[in-house]
Amino acid sequence: MIVITESCVGCATCMLVCPADAIRVEGKAEINYELCKNCKKCVLYCPLEAINFVETAG
Amino acid sequence: MKVAVIGAGLGGLLSASILSEMGYSVEIFEKLPFIGGRFTSFKYRGYEITTGALHMIPHGSRGPLAELLRKAGAKVEIIDSNPYGTALYGGEEIDVNRRRMPLRSKVLFALLCMKNWFREVKLSELERRLDDFSAKFLRAFLGWSFSITPEQTTLTKIYPVYRSILEHGGPGVPAGGCKAVVDALVDVIRSNDCAIRKLKVSAIRKGNCGFSVYFENGDTEKFDIIISNIGHEETAKLMGIKKYVKLEPSRGIKYSISVRQPFIEHTGVLFTLNTRRISGMNQVTNADPNLGKGNFLMAHQPMLTSNVKFEISEGLKDLKELLKGYDYEILAIQSFSDGWPVNRAIAGSDSGCKTPVSGVYVVGDGAKGSDIEVDGIALGVKDTVEYIRKSL
Repeated sequence: MIVITESCVGCATCMLVCPADAIRVEGKAEINYELCKNCKKCVLYCPLEAINFVETAG
Repeated sequence: MKVAVIGAGLGGLLSASILSEMGYSVEIFEKLPFIGGRFTSFKYRGYEITTGALHMIPHGSRGPLAELLRKAGAKVEIIDSNPYGTALYGGEEIDVNRRRMPLRSKVLFALLCMKNWFREVKLSELERRLDDFSAKFLRAFLGWSFSITPEQTTLTKIYPVYRSILEHGGPGVPAGGCKAVVDALVDVIRSNDCAIRKLKVSAIRKGNCGFSVYFENGDTEKFDIIISNIGHEETAKLMGIKKYVKLEPSRGIKYSISVRQPFIEHTGVLFTLNTRRISGMNQVTNADPNLGKGNFLMAHQPMLTSNVKFEISEGLKDLKELLKGYDYEILAIQSFSDGWPVNRAIAGSDSGCKTPVSGVYVVGDGAKGSDIEVDGIALGVKDTVEYIRKSL
């Protein structure tokens, strides 16, 4: 599961690169988990390393 | 001579292209999977949305950045704005150009006073002595160009910028946007057989001769000169230096807007004077239609409080009033602060390109010369190249 941390400043780089259009940003990034495919592109592109991928059981 | 450039932002790429043209062996290291830092764009819903900058070069084809791009052999077409801009004041649009630069006589007058009084004059003090239009224009200009208010700076810090506008003139838009500038520099660097590698630097240590650069993947490589594009603070951390000057960043919010009917008729800046937050807008598709579908507007505001949500709500109220009667859609709202700010150092407080360690230089934001945004970066790079040339 993709998790946005406190370090997010809302630069929206993740929104620009998300292939599923699953991110909205207004001051901070928010993930729409119904659309998110866990591709982790946002994790890689975040300039502040403010997005983490957390393994979830099941 | 082997040069390591840490960070592939505009400062890093500009330094690398000039030094590689001069015959240095240059390697660039970038931790992110894209090149250009805060001076590039991604295509989003048909629009070139930037990672930071405004698809604009403050002094257009006559400024310091354009000069360095020519020196580096980077092929970029810059469309100069004519007029430089207009100011929206009380429902009227007033031309801003070199001859009719507002404030001119007033700034000179105040400077004269300052020289007589031997003290720093806060711009807010000057603002109080100006007529309403000039005062509001000053506020909008500072908000657009530096994301600051007159309270945050002094006349002596802003005066070089003012002089530079008189000398080099107003803004221009690079054809293809800021990404085109970055792409052109990458072409120069690659044609000189210098590599740009996606690799995070974890530490830099000074040896008996030169430097060892340690990478996140466990590799180490030796270099003679280090050019850092990641700001003074992060550079000091990589070097293991605990004492460094902490710079105060400037913070702002940028709105990318698609509008059905054209809102601005020229390619310059529309300074917005009777607003809560928004300080200016530009319609970049007027200069290059390929930057978006139809009319693509960018609006910018400084952050006056630390409450980002509140700042955005104030900005959106302004946009609603400014764009009343227009059919528009907000494509992106981007806020810039802390580690990804508008400027790493508030205008006039950049701390130069030298570091306490000889052979290590900082370029880019936070090490700018006395000018606006990317033109300030160009001046810093120019100084760094000169220091390196002289040190040999």
